[in-house]
Amino acid sequence: MNAIIVSAVFGVLMMFASFLVNNKNVYRYLAIIGLSVLLLANILETYAIWSIKFDSFLQLSFERFGLFFNSIAIAATLFYVLLSGKDIVRVGNYSAEYFVLIFFILCGVSLITSYNSLLMLFLGIEIISIPLYILTGSDKKNLKSNEAALKYFLMGAFSTGLMLMGIALSYGAVGNFGLEGRGVVAFGGSMRVSFLEVAGLLLLFISMSFKASAAPFHFWTPDVYEGAPSVFTSFMATIVKATVFIGMIKLLEARTGIFGPTWQIILPLMIVLTLAIGNITAVFQQSVKRMLAYSSIAQAGFMLFALWSANDMGREGILLYSVAYTLATVGIFAVLVKMKDYTFDGFNGLAAKQPLVAASVAVFVLSLAGIPLTAGFFAKYFMLASAIKSGAGVWLLVVAVVFAAVSVYYYFRLIQAMYFKEGEAEMFEQPTNSFKGMLAIFAVLLIVLGIAPSLLFNYLYF
Amino acid sequence: MLWTNFLMNVSTASNTAVDYFPIGIQLIFAVGFVATMIGVSALIGPKRQTSDKLQSFESGIESVGNARQPMAIKYFLVAILFVLFDVEVIFFYPYAINFRDLGWNGFFAVLMFVSLFLAGFIYIIKKGALKWED
Amino acid sequence: MSITEILFWFLSALALVGALMVVLSRNPVHSVLWLVATFFAISGHYILMNAQFLAIVNIIVYAGAIMVLFLFVIMLMNLNSEAEPRKSWMMQLAGVLAGGCFMMVLVSLVRQTAELGGKTALVKEGNIGLIKQLGMKLFSEYTVPFEISSVLFLSAMVGAVVIGKKD
Repeated sequence: MNAIIVSAVFGVLMMFASFLVNNKNVYRYLAIIGLSVLLLANILETYAIWSIKFDSFLQLSFERFGLFFNSIAIAATLFYVLLSGKDIVRVGNYSAEYFVLIFFILCGVSLITSYNSLLMLFLGIEIISIPLYILTGSDKKNLKSNEAALKYFLMGAFSTGLMLMGIALSYGAVGNFGLEGRGVVAFGGSMRVSFLEVAGLLLLFISMSFKASAAPFHFWTPDVYEGAPSVFTSFMATIVKATVFIGMIKLLEARTGIFGPTWQIILPLMIVLTLAIGNITAVFQQSVKRMLAYSSIAQAGFMLFALWSANDMGREGILLYSVAYTLATVGIFAVLVKMKDYTFDGFNGLAAKQPLVAASVAVFVLSLAGIPLTAGFFAKYFMLASAIKSGAGVWLLVVAVVFAAVSVYYYFRLIQAMYFKEGEAEMFEQPTNSFKGMLAIFAVLLIVLGIAPSLLFNYLYF
Repeated sequence: MLWTNFLMNVSTASNTAVDYFPIGIQLIFAVGFVATMIGVSALIGPKRQTSDKLQSFESGIESVGNARQPMAIKYFLVAILFVLFDVEVIFFYPYAINFRDLGWNGFFAVLMFVSLFLAGFIYIIKKGALKWED
Repeated sequence: MSITEILFWFLSALALVGALMVVLSRNPVHSVLWLVATFFAISGHYILMNAQFLAIVNIIVYAGAIMVLFLFVIMLMNLNSEAEPRKSWMMQLAGVLAGGCFMMVLVSLVRQTAELGGKTALVKEGNIGLIKQLGMKLFSEYTVPFEISSVLFLSAMVGAVVIGKKD
């Protein structure tokens, strides 16, 4: 429970800092210190050295998998603040508040990774969603940001309504909010799963797919990701999205087989649809930011494989995928924020002016595309291999590989623009040495994980 | 069952929906009275509809502009903060009823909740969200 | 028909008509007022089921505070233009289809749910919904979610300041 409590406490501390301290740099340092302490607290709990305990009456259960994902999410946020902290502070007049909201989101993240009751899942999803609506609209002078926030809020509120209805139906069938419970009714001498529960879980699944922007519930994604301030887009497209997948995995694992044979039709259909819509639409984008929005839909398609396989390999895979995808996307967005022009042409000739930045971005892009020797390759490999293990049809894998090949096209356009085109590639400010250093660390991490992915899993088991 | 019997049952039953019967009657009378009065006055009152009378009344001055103007966000800010603290107060009712039975554990639970809200309240005041002039 | 039954049918009809009018009425202020009526009808249902606390909270928070917020939102918007944007018939058809499918699923769900057959709701008595029992549950079993919900409130407060406060 360390992560939940410590993140909430630091959120409140930042709230007080917002009116006690009047220096934007102090907020950033406070956030970095807070995230480090949070990471430490979570690691202490992972190794059962020290933890705060409250009796939650089995509504929360802290297992290695969830705690490890907490560490990943917190560390990723720490890297994110180290890299883009200056841009977060600059979005508007409420610099400290943005960090408050990020801490609260981390509180929601650690709830979702440890829930054992649907009530807690709901609280976690809400604690994540409400700060996100606000962060989306935080660029108050920008009409696009306002529109994105309103759209996100209305759609998100609707999906929350569906989720509540699902939880209510499931409650009606099972009689409690427990994750493990299962509603069964006598039916012609044998027992079968209650229809109420099937419908309830289906609604719950729909609502969570909305939050994870899996097709056909993805319609909000491009507009919101494009309208939101770029620093916050990178946060919600990575850490938050990965968390929702962890929540979905926990839910579906606890109630495997609830959908019966139709599951074999629904999920592959969703995977193919998500991959197709994300990848094909991304090809036609001229803005890098919008391309990344569509590519995040495409990446969600790959993450859905972990739901399909529902085995240990899938669990490992989703962790690796979260790390690879988060590092790469956060890195690209950190560079994107500094660009004057968000189109592909805006990146023309970046390699000549900023060789280190361009090289790092190239590594990020290669990792997103899943080229061998980067973490993205093994992430995709683990997803597909785990699906085979669970008996996925070959056609599904062929589709996934074909769409991965399509994605190479639009990712390489960025490399092409940086390396093979003449241009100015104007930036708002020259990247500092520490910024370049952080980017390089990100790139090196991706390559190290691409060579030896088991480094990550070692921490999961030992 | 006669409704008069229903009324007499009230005193014996404890804490069931029947307890709300008097409240229901009161509600019916209140709504009925208002509706009747409005209806009757509309029916028997004199009606002379001239163009001057149908205008919206602005203290005798000719009406200017449109009433449907967007209003300041400040009202909304106050209203939304009111709702948040309203919900907080709602949580006190179940605590107050069980005050003795819950003992210190319940007290600390409520104390923590209230102190978090207090932190929020201090934040709001310090940020000047409730300040009207700016 | 007993008084309870009459009340049940009356409140159900009121709730359904109110909900329909929320969607159908052209004037948004009327929609809000119909929503208030719907909330009152639902509160009546709660009382019938002897969930007194919920009934009162529903009136105080939803019909009172939140509906005022709704009215504020409507007044914040510029509603001068008589003609609201018309959706194309394709969109309307898609909406009808999607809504109809969802309704079909829910109706067939209720019809096929065997465990609902022959059961009656607990009416007029039963002390599960009373404030005393609710408080005991809330402050023993559900203390942790109760405390965590305050984080939600705090983020809403911060959000209200970030979005609503003039710079």
